[in-house]
Amino acid sequence: MRRKNISKLIISICIALFFIVCVISPIVSMLCRITPDGFMSVVGSPQFLPAVINSVSTALIATVISLLLAISSAWCIRRTDIKLKALFSTIFVVPMLIPSISHAFGLVALFGSNGLITNLLSLDGNIYGFWGIVVGSVLYSFPVAFLMFSSILEYEDGMTYKAAEVLGIPALSRFTGITLPYLKKTIISAFFAVFTMIVTDYGVPLMIGGKTTTLSVLMYNKAVGMIDYDSGSVIGAFLLVPAVAAFIVDLLNPENSQSSFVSEKVEPKKSRMQKILSYVFCTLICVCVFAPIASFCIMVFETKYPVDPVPTLYHIQKTLSRGADKYLLNSMIYSAVTALLGTLLAFICSYITSRLNDKFSKGLHLISITSMAIPGIVLGLSYVIFFHGSPIYGTILIVILVNSIHFFASPYLMMYNTLGKVNPNLEAVGQSLGIHRLFIIKDVVIPKVRGALVEMFTYFFVNSMMTISAVSFLAPPAPKPVALMINQFEAQLLMESAAFVSIIIFVVNVLIKGVSNLIKRKLAASR
Amino acid sequence: MTEKLVIENVSKSYRETEILKSVSFDAKDGEFLSILGASGCGKTTLLRILIGLLEPDTGKITKDGTDITHAAPDKRGMGIVFQNYALFENMTVLQNVKYALKFHGIPKADAEKNALDMIAAVGLSDHIKKYPKNLSGGQQQRVAIARTLALNPDIVLLDEPMSALDVATRLSMRKELKGLQAQFGTTMIYVTHDQEEAFALSDRIMIMNQGEICQIDTPENIMRNPADEYVRTFVIDNLQAKVDSLSKFINGRRGG
Ligand SMILES: Nc1ncnc2c1ncn2[C@@H]1O[C@H](COP(=O)(O)OP(=O)(O)OP(=O)(O)O)[C@@H](O)[C@H]1O
Ligand SMILES: [Mg+2]
Repeated sequence: MRRKNISKLIISICIALFFIVCVISPIVSMLCRITPDGFMSVVGSPQFLPAVINSVSTALIATVISLLLAISSAWCIRRTDIKLKALFSTIFVVPMLIPSISHAFGLVALFGSNGLITNLLSLDGNIYGFWGIVVGSVLYSFPVAFLMFSSILEYEDGMTYKAAEVLGIPALSRFTGITLPYLKKTIISAFFAVFTMIVTDYGVPLMIGGKTTTLSVLMYNKAVGMIDYDSGSVIGAFLLVPAVAAFIVDLLNPENSQSSFVSEKVEPKKSRMQKILSYVFCTLICVCVFAPIASFCIMVFETKYPVDPVPTLYHIQKTLSRGADKYLLNSMIYSAVTALLGTLLAFICSYITSRLNDKFSKGLHLISITSMAIPGIVLGLSYVIFFHGSPIYGTILIVILVNSIHFFASPYLMMYNTLGKVNPNLEAVGQSLGIHRLFIIKDVVIPKVRGALVEMFTYFFVNSMMTISAVSFLAPPAPKPVALMINQFEAQLLMESAAFVSIIIFVVNVLIKGVSNLIKRKLAASR
Repeated sequence: MTEKLVIENVSKSYRETEILKSVSFDAKDGEFLSILGASGCGKTTLLRILIGLLEPDTGKITKDGTDITHAAPDKRGMGIVFQNYALFENMTVLQNVKYALKFHGIPKADAEKNALDMIAAVGLSDHIKKYPKNLSGGQQQRVAIARTLALNPDIVLLDEPMSALDVATRLSMRKELKGLQAQFGTTMIYVTHDQEEAFALSDRIMIMNQGEICQIDTPENIMRNPADEYVRTFVIDNLQAKVDSLSKFINGRRGG
């Protein structure tokens, strides 16, 4: 027993040190840079207040729209009798496979001064600014909210509605009296999650904001553009506020009634009118999802969109000659290593927190989900400040590290929940039979959670492929991640190249997702 | 019968609450001893201490005259069967029973034979290639028992092993369990909160209430001389109530 305690102690210390170095210290050192003078000069500057107002108002409006769309589409999928539900729900989450900046770029390509639809309908191409940010933000935040509502609606208990119907309660009252209260918690969590996501993102406002500057763009301009880390830290602290608030809301508001026993699923409505409306609505959303991707394809494969529609591979060759293939390979290597490291780390941590009941695991759980509350842009700056001068600074390693931390919380939570459902006595049985814990993990636990492991790997990979927030601070100049080229090409007015890069990322992510789903299906079938 | 396992003054607390309050008893060689008590009285905690998954705060456990209070769980010559079986779901019945043997230096061929014998003993020879999810509750239960017995423990601890089974399966499992005990001469310590089950199976019953032992004796003696008010109400009155309701039904049928 003594030897076991020592090895456990060593593992605990290593993990604690890791989180202290990779999460706590960077954030603390960023916050420590804030001086009263620096604070006053940022808050007092003429750009600050407008940026706050722009950030909050665009994010608020976009969040509300996003949630409304998400609830309606989840409703169509879960509560009406339409066909093609699987197809629709798959398409709805496609936006999660391209970077936020590409969504904004898609809008530019469609509605910008030289955009496809601008020319088609001879509009004035005035998408840049406030409403561009709102629409772009809705596009990429919608799937996150959709997933939340779709799963909560799936697990609602149908008996309640049957009972209400028998009691003669009218449909509207059933909605306000049963459905809304049931959705309340999810609406709150989704609101905070989506709002935080939008307010801390700078891909969309950077691309399409025009003269409308948000806090995140201001921070990016200060920290990356002017290398003014002090001002960047002050704005970073502000960006932490909504994220921390969302985190606390989530902590106070954890279990949805999802886990409770469902005796019967809610029966979908058979109304014809509702069905038609649902088809129209879902199809419209699909169009919105695919419009940016379609516009990229048009741009890339036409000689000069919109004036010369002759098909060509010229732009692809041109983009490749500018190094896109090398950058793509870089990104795939980064992403694969990040996915391996992140999955391993998240598995170890979730194993400790879900299956060893001690004080250390409670603390570890808290710190593991804390990384969720740190926006990528803030994490990036804090890494610049903390790791500047260390040997990993300016190398691939720091990019891998920052991405593993940035995307840690979701896969961690997924595995935490999965392991929590695995029989709690397996290790005890192993102990009584003389089977070491490591063998129980290798031969019994891991085979049971393989699907979740694949899912975690995919999550890390896909997100590392797309991310620009933290890496724009940290990426070494030579082997840059490919996602950073979108912005770079657009700034050089190489629109076709920027579009092609977006397509590459999308295709790689679709392939990875597809392979991952195949593997998961195989694993599920082999059991 | 000689004393197989001796427990002296074992206590356990979680934070302020004392779960086990200086518990002392013994189990005789080859005996079937039931531990009977209401939910939360500390039965599982006691079993986990006996097998070594938990360390007692104080007290001593002796097996065959050797102090095993601090021995590792697998060095005690004991086995445990949990209420929810905790089978290895990705392994077949045979693999479940065989898996632990390779960690005990048993040659492959012997391990296979041991496992097959044990599976035959619990009557599952026709199912060795099946996975746990394709077995009934009672069959899963038997796999768990075979897996434990395969290592030849001389004491087997069972934590409410029947509570997930339906009544008919429970009745037949009782017989099988007694049969296995006779066949292997194992000492069995059987935790339950079902009075009837304890009385039907046991050589002796130990009745617990809130971390303390109320009485430990043969079923007959407990019936005749309940040690205190708790034994009278929790055990005897409950059994009596069952008998009354049944006899009313049976008499009613006769009368009708
Ligand atoms: N890890 C723990 N931390 C704190 N309290 C615990 C822990 N494990 C058990 N307890 C408490 O100890 C008491 C006894 O628990 P135990 O599981 O031994 O009861 P039991 O007799 O097996 O009950 P049941 O019949 O419901 O299985 C309970 O009040 C329980 O809440
Ligand atoms: Mg128990």
